[in-house]
Amino acid sequence: MSQLDILLIVSRVCFGAFVPLCFIAVCVWMERRGAAFFQDRSGPNRANICGFRAGGLVQNLADAVKLITKEDIIPGHLKHKFYFVLAPCIVFCIAIASFAAIPFADVMKIGGKEYIMQTIPTDLGILWFLALAGFGVYGIILAGWSSHNKYGVLGGLRAAAQVISYEIPMGLAIVSALIVYGTVNLTGIAQFQGQLLFGFIPMWGVVLQPLGAIIFIVAAFAEANRTPFDLAEGESELVAGFHVEYSSMKFGMFFMGEYVAMFTNAAIIVTLYFGGFQIPWLATETLVAYARPLTVLMMLAVPACGWIFCLWMSKNNRSHYAHESDYRDREVAVYTKIVWGIVAAIDIMLFVYLIAASGGDADRVLVMFLQVFTFLIKTTMMCFVYVWVRWTLPRFRYDQLQRLGWQTLLPLSLLNIFITSAVVVALS
Amino acid sequence: MFADGLFMLFAVLAVLGAAGLVLFRHPMNGAMSFVITLISLAGLYALLSAKLIFALQLIVYAGAIMSLIVFIIMFLNIQPEDLPKEEGKLLNILGALIIVAPIGYFLVKIVNRLPNATTELLGNNFGGVKPVGLLLFKDWLVPFEIVSILLLVSLMGALLLAGKKKEVSK
Repeated sequence: MSQLDILLIVSRVCFGAFVPLCFIAVCVWMERRGAAFFQDRSGPNRANICGFRAGGLVQNLADAVKLITKEDIIPGHLKHKFYFVLAPCIVFCIAIASFAAIPFADVMKIGGKEYIMQTIPTDLGILWFLALAGFGVYGIILAGWSSHNKYGVLGGLRAAAQVISYEIPMGLAIVSALIVYGTVNLTGIAQFQGQLLFGFIPMWGVVLQPLGAIIFIVAAFAEANRTPFDLAEGESELVAGFHVEYSSMKFGMFFMGEYVAMFTNAAIIVTLYFGGFQIPWLATETLVAYARPLTVLMMLAVPACGWIFCLWMSKNNRSHYAHESDYRDREVAVYTKIVWGIVAAIDIMLFVYLIAASGGDADRVLVMFLQVFTFLIKTTMMCFVYVWVRWTLPRFRYDQLQRLGWQTLLPLSLLNIFITSAVVVALS
Repeated sequence: MFADGLFMLFAVLAVLGAAGLVLFRHPMNGAMSFVITLISLAGLYALLSAKLIFALQLIVYAGAIMSLIVFIIMFLNIQPEDLPKEEGKLLNILGALIIVAPIGYFLVKIVNRLPNATTELLGNNFGGVKPVGLLLFKDWLVPFEIVSILLLVSLMGALLLAGKKKEVSK
């Protein structure tokens, strides 16, 4: 193995491990801000470090400190303490591991070698995700059961029934998507979506499989136990369901696991139906061919974005009343400096690339970074959809949930398979 | 070398899990140790580069079937007190050992007579999704369909049995 191989392996594993963890903070922040936005209130705007609130991100730190310093209680009535401790670990680890097979950039060709940009370079793809999705339910079942508590057991039962019944429409929606793509490999699926339909529409899964996309998204919401399908928690009837006995970081693990699962599900939805890392109309080879003009364009676009952001910030982050010394003025001044610093750094890096390294392998690396950025932007937007749905729709009743799964989604997904396979056979 | 270590690990875990399934008194412990067996079997398949079977083992057995069984254990809230008392356990084990002993003898003999040859893994994406799919749906289509009809029959049989019980209870 050359040094480049080792460097790429290490960076891919770091990406797969740390990006989901970082997105916990992003998702929790988005959830708080989103909830505040939908309920017409301010959201987190008090927690600060020396007057800097980072738009509410500091609230996450306060949350973490609170959870870590709480007393970690293992109730005395438990008979199976091992399962009680094991359950949150399962939920958290499974959620992180299921990100491993998702591609975050196209296959990178450097020095005559090809590098698959997944944490685990396997071609199992969607099967890996399905295998781990089945495991996630053990954590919830064990948590509910080992809590030895009626609320907990009821929550665990609901979660198990729900996940098992929604795995079927999810699997069938994936089947119809696989008929279209002709591969289970997620890198292959994302590459397929780089083509153009009729020469001008990107061949994204959502264009080719609109019904399948809807079924998959609904089932993914149910698998992640998110509202409107969070009957396992159901705080109005089950207090907190399966995690009612958990405190401190054991609860924190469930909490983080939920957000990692949300990020992973968003990533898989993006990969299957929204083109993955593909930038619309710009396939990898096009990007590599036009790397220099694109770099010049980016060198202009990045300052423009920074300028708009600073303008927006100075307009919104101020008091409605006249103040002698508004602490927010200082905040805005410092943030503006930071933003321009980042913009300058990016521009200098792009300039150095343009002068010294453009052409050859550096183009590929640049394209890789662009695709990672695109993938993360798309995933963040999908995470926002999760937040959006959570604060818009009320929770389903249990019979409604099962009826939706078995009587609506299952026949629809079967119908989708028949139509898809008929069309594919007719066209081939 | 690394693969050898993994093989030993998975093999030992599989046997330990199976032993736990038989020996644990509490149903949940039994079920969880069986899950360990199923996962380590999946690991053994992966070592044989049978990727599809690795994934299917995890999805179908460890993921779906075992979570259903755990669900039932939870649903019925089976406790060790609900299980039948096992009297004469030692005698039963002794009798079973005597019956199984000849088979064990044969097994030991077979293992001893295995040729000491090294085997190579089949390359060319053997065991991947595409080759297995092609084999299954081109060369072995009829047996595959027959098996699926067999499964359908058993499914309907189970449904019929469950339905009848309901009428009786009414």
